[in-house]
Amino acid sequence: MANKLGEWIEDRTGLSKLLKAALDEPVHGGAKWSYIFGSGLVFLFVLQAVTGIFMASYYSPSSTAAWGSVYYLQYKTSFGWFVRGVHHYGSSAMMIVAMVHMFQVFIFGAYKKPRELNWISGVILLLFLAGFGLTGYLLPWDQKGYWATQVATNIMGTVPVIGKYIKILHQGGADYGNFTITRFYTLHVFLLPISLVFFLFIHIALFRKHGVTPYWKMREDVLRDRIDPFWPDQIFKDIVFALGMYAVIAGVVFWTRGAELQSPADPASNYLARPEWYFLFLFELLKYCQGKYLIVGTVIIPALALTFLFVLPFIDRNTSRYPSKRMPYFGAIFSGLTGAVVLTVLAMHHDSKDIHIIHQREEAEKQAARAVKLAEKGIPPTGALSIFLHDPLALGGKIFKESCIGCHKIGVEGGDNGPDFTNFGSREWIAGLLKNPKDVKYFKESGAMPPIKLPDESLLDMTEFLLSQSEGLIHQNAERVERGKELVLKGNCVVCHPIGNKDLKKIAPNLTEYLSETWLKEFIRNPGDPRFYGTRNKMPAFDRLTDSQLDALIQYLFSLSKDRALVSEKQEKGKRGYVFGLTSPRTMITFQDKS
Amino acid sequence: MVENNRRKFLKVVSHSLGGVLAAGIAAPLVGLGIHPWLKETVYGTEDFINLGKLEDFPVGIPKKMNVTSSKMDAWNVFEGLVMGSVWVLRKEDDSLKVFSVNCPHLGCGINWGEDEKQFLCPCHEGVFDINGKVLSGPAPRSLYSYETKIENDNVLVNYKKLI
Repeated sequence: MANKLGEWIEDRTGLSKLLKAALDEPVHGGAKWSYIFGSGLVFLFVLQAVTGIFMASYYSPSSTAAWGSVYYLQYKTSFGWFVRGVHHYGSSAMMIVAMVHMFQVFIFGAYKKPRELNWISGVILLLFLAGFGLTGYLLPWDQKGYWATQVATNIMGTVPVIGKYIKILHQGGADYGNFTITRFYTLHVFLLPISLVFFLFIHIALFRKHGVTPYWKMREDVLRDRIDPFWPDQIFKDIVFALGMYAVIAGVVFWTRGAELQSPADPASNYLARPEWYFLFLFELLKYCQGKYLIVGTVIIPALALTFLFVLPFIDRNTSRYPSKRMPYFGAIFSGLTGAVVLTVLAMHHDSKDIHIIHQREEAEKQAARAVKLAEKGIPPTGALSIFLHDPLALGGKIFKESCIGCHKIGVEGGDNGPDFTNFGSREWIAGLLKNPKDVKYFKESGAMPPIKLPDESLLDMTEFLLSQSEGLIHQNAERVERGKELVLKGNCVVCHPIGNKDLKKIAPNLTEYLSETWLKEFIRNPGDPRFYGTRNKMPAFDRLTDSQLDALIQYLFSLSKDRALVSEKQEKGKRGYVFGLTSPRTMITFQDKS
Repeated sequence: MVENNRRKFLKVVSHSLGGVLAAGIAAPLVGLGIHPWLKETVYGTEDFINLGKLEDFPVGIPKKMNVTSSKMDAWNVFEGLVMGSVWVLRKEDDSLKVFSVNCPHLGCGINWGEDEKQFLCPCHEGVFDINGKVLSGPAPRSLYSYETKIENDNVLVNYKKLI
């Protein structure tokens, strides 16, 4: 029966003949592991296509909806975070494998006559890959995509004469907006894939016509006599490679907990843009081409490099494929590669030292976590940025200004009856308090606690332990916590401060769950409680604040600390457990266990 | 012969590895694709919707009220959307009846006839008494109603479920 159906289909379509024609390619000189990269790229392209198609069914290309739809995909769907992660890291994998493929083709001399057009179509495919990377980066419409893409479109603008018009055409207007996103979306999901498939078809057809280019030392007779069938000899190797790549990509997705989604693009912020790693060398190059030389970095050098790649098969006409006979071209290609690597390393090195970038990364993480938290209650149709309009932080700030700032200074603003709240609750703040409670920044002469005479490192250990009792401490250091616990519990602290049991009273504040939401809430409601300052208290009780006002105020207090991710809405605590596939693991609480 | 066996073996291994790879890729994609089966994507955020203070409803005279609610649509929240309207009847003992405005016959909007003291359907002359019971016309049953309750003097209605 099945046989008959098979025959019927075969009779009408010639399917198995077609399949045979596709798979029965003779591999002259034998199947080789060195031939896996081209088919590896085809595999990655298919992977990008299917993950992309599934993501497209959740994506909404508009400046008000894009971030929300990606947020939904990432945090609200099953496996959305994984699929998006595979697509994200898959693009990096494609870049890497494409570079390897290109250099292998170069080293093997596979661009030489009669394969000039193989090479040229390959260079065009590489350009398409770059186009995919560039257009895809913008689509989530988050801070980093938005600002990094601005750099790219501004570079377009530096092209003499026509630059301005190209830029407007790409942006869909003079500034970023709905049409920027619809255009980038069109490029990313329609134009580029269609063009890529077209050139890929040519590329593969040409490859089939000319066959593989083996290792240059392979003897003529081996090349002539040893013929392996493509299926299964070569395909086996290709499948092993594809499986290996997918395992690595999936591993990276799990390890990094999926691709990052920063907070919604805010045109009013001043964000230091950084492109994806494979464009970093171009970005770094621009730093050395300032002022009127800008065009050297944006247009001239890239254009020269590309021209070189395009004309390479025509200038290197020597028929020998031995590297020793092609030294000038090896020199040119590898100095280009070295230049790009050096520029990339420089850019990364510079960023890892730049305090503004480090600070911005921390802020961006916090902000992203905040955005995700707020988006949970739904994003107003006015756009993703509006989630911040109803942010309890804003309300908390208002309450602080009304009720607290008279005694607690922040920055230069505020009174000095109580401790200075600049960076309140941060490691620096707590360590400073331990070092000298009588400091003008803290309790001044009314400070009853004696300064702790221990080395700074020990103070930091104690700080780490104290802060570890509340949620949301970023980059928590478990060793410090252990050492600090030892110091606090076995030292003199517990003579005055109860710790471990919430209800115990001694002469100084109970430090159980110190600075947690509950602790702060109870403290602010009644600082004169015997569990806190008791009779020595000077701060008024703020029991008139409603629960939601108090929650907002505490969120605001948390936000003052640079060491804390904002964990609000306590009902979430129970739910945040990570269940494979069902929830995205990249919630704010996970910032804790990065050390 | 050895070569043939080797190729046979390679074919089997390639098929299995290819199958593992395809399954590994397809599983999360299917998981993502069936998301609307697993989770509600469009839903009202409240079960009971506030229609206003009890004292704003006159005793014994049905009053037509718009039902507004907030709705989640995937990532978006829409506040204050008009979902529809209902007839609210406050009885002498302050108990409430909340009727659907749609005739149980073919769904036309019914009106309260002030003179007749009856609900009248303009489409096929259906007539219902103040408690929603069919008096005449083609309607197969009494007016649909909604579960309702009073909390802190607020009239709340569960607009999700017709009774």
